[in-house]
Amino acid sequence: MENAGYIALSRQMTLRRELDIAANNLANVDTAGFKVEKLLIATENGTRARNLGIDGPGRFVLDTGLGRDFGQGAMRQTGNTFDFAVEGQGFFAVGGPEGERYTRDGRFSPDSSGRLVTHDGLPVLGEGGSEIILDMTKGPPSVSADGIISQGTERVGRLQAVRFEAMSVLSKDGDGYYRNTSNETPSPDTEARIRQGMVEGSNVQPIVQITNLIEISRAYERMAKLIDSSNDLNRRTVERLGRVS
Amino acid sequence: MRALSIAATGMAAQQLNVEVISNNIANMNTVGFKRQRAEFQDLLYENVERMGAQSSEAGTVVPTGVQIGAGVKAGSVYRITTQGSLTQTGNRYDLAIDGRGYFQVLLPDGSTAFSRAGNFAVNDQGILVTDDGYIVQPQITIPADAKDVVISKTGQVQVLSGTEATPQIVGQLELATFMNEAGLQAIGDNLYLESGASGSAVTGSPGEVGFGQLVQGYTEASNVDAVSEITNLIVAQRAYEMNSKVITTADQMLSVSAQVKS
Repeated sequence: MENAGYIALSRQMTLRRELDIAANNLANVDTAGFKVEKLLIATENGTRARNLGIDGPGRFVLDTGLGRDFGQGAMRQTGNTFDFAVEGQGFFAVGGPEGERYTRDGRFSPDSSGRLVTHDGLPVLGEGGSEIILDMTKGPPSVSADGIISQGTERVGRLQAVRFEAMSVLSKDGDGYYRNTSNETPSPDTEARIRQGMVEGSNVQPIVQITNLIEISRAYERMAKLIDSSNDLNRRTVERLGRVS
Repeated sequence: MRALSIAATGMAAQQLNVEVISNNIANMNTVGFKRQRAEFQDLLYENVERMGAQSSEAGTVVPTGVQIGAGVKAGSVYRITTQGSLTQTGNRYDLAIDGRGYFQVLLPDGSTAFSRAGNFAVNDQGILVTDDGYIVQPQITIPADAKDVVISKTGQVQVLSGTEATPQIVGQLELATFMNEAGLQAIGDNLYLESGASGSAVTGSPGEVGFGQLVQGYTEASNVDAVSEITNLIVAQRAYEMNSKVITTADQMLSVSAQVKS
């Protein structure tokens, strides 16, 4: 049968998915530590129709994966003692109920017992995977670029960023958390700098996403046109061949 | 189409953002007010093609998968408890806290609330009260014949009354601190209540280790920075617009599909 309509449809399916992803990017334009995503698409060869005398199979469009840009988001100064940002490739490790999770969102706070936690109450893991306990009576903690936390003159712990060899093993869990899907254990990132009083913004570039929106919608229209004309061709074929001369 | 609901979450989040910013701006001149910040988190992800899944019998593995997010949600509205600037008023019952700590205030129902607003006054019995008439704890009574009242940095209240030459100590003010100040529950009227997130109050005299000092004749202004609030407002407005653009685009695409001739 006629493949053109189906090929156009395969493109429309991926375009809808691309729109969903662009929508999610734009919804998170103001989410701290959010990393922009893009759908990766490839051509998929369909089996050649045996009864057609044409060369080569129909090529469909298929989404093969998701590309995540782990590039640095813009740093925004907040002056808040418990805001931290990682400069570099590392992640903060937090202890979740289902194992370690990783995040770039460093808006932490102490809980009622002085433990440094995320906004969901998950403990932040410092050096050696230990929780960080602060004593608020000793004054506000100050954190150096290599993560040493001190209160007054006393060292109370160390914030640490960890890194993965391949970022593609990370799966998004929502709430700004990533989950490790491989057996690889992350190693401490010695090159990462920790900035206190800063928040890493989302690395979504609005203008790029808006341009994507336009491209997606135009491409979708083109495909609709293609389906239209392919249908039209079919209809006319049936009409003409069916006419008794 | 998911994009429609995803963009709707984005618009709802920005709406909350504008509400928080407008509350900050409205309270720019509120004594002891601490600005708030709406914090967003991405919503859960749908695994359309799970990463790590096998893509062939030979054991090749999908490296990235396809995960589609469901938008954004407001994680929390966080209170930023940085110090506000001190404003001179000259009023002898105006107190500002320079550093950590909260005044303790006795509510009419008998419970204790906490406040950074030190614009106090005395009531008809000479008791130190807030501008709502709630008694400041521990209770301080100023004698009727007081000529001058001096409140020291460490919270000692001294009164020079009648014909006496030396001031008399009539009380000692105390402050309360918390493990997590941002976890206090705001109840309006510049008052906060202790909550499970804040931890229990630790009381002490001003000037002790971990407590701020009192400054008489000053009030603490809000820590709202007008310029940064306006900047945030612009960002929120543009983000709202961009999300509405997504809805328009999704709508156009749906209508294109609906118009395909059969």
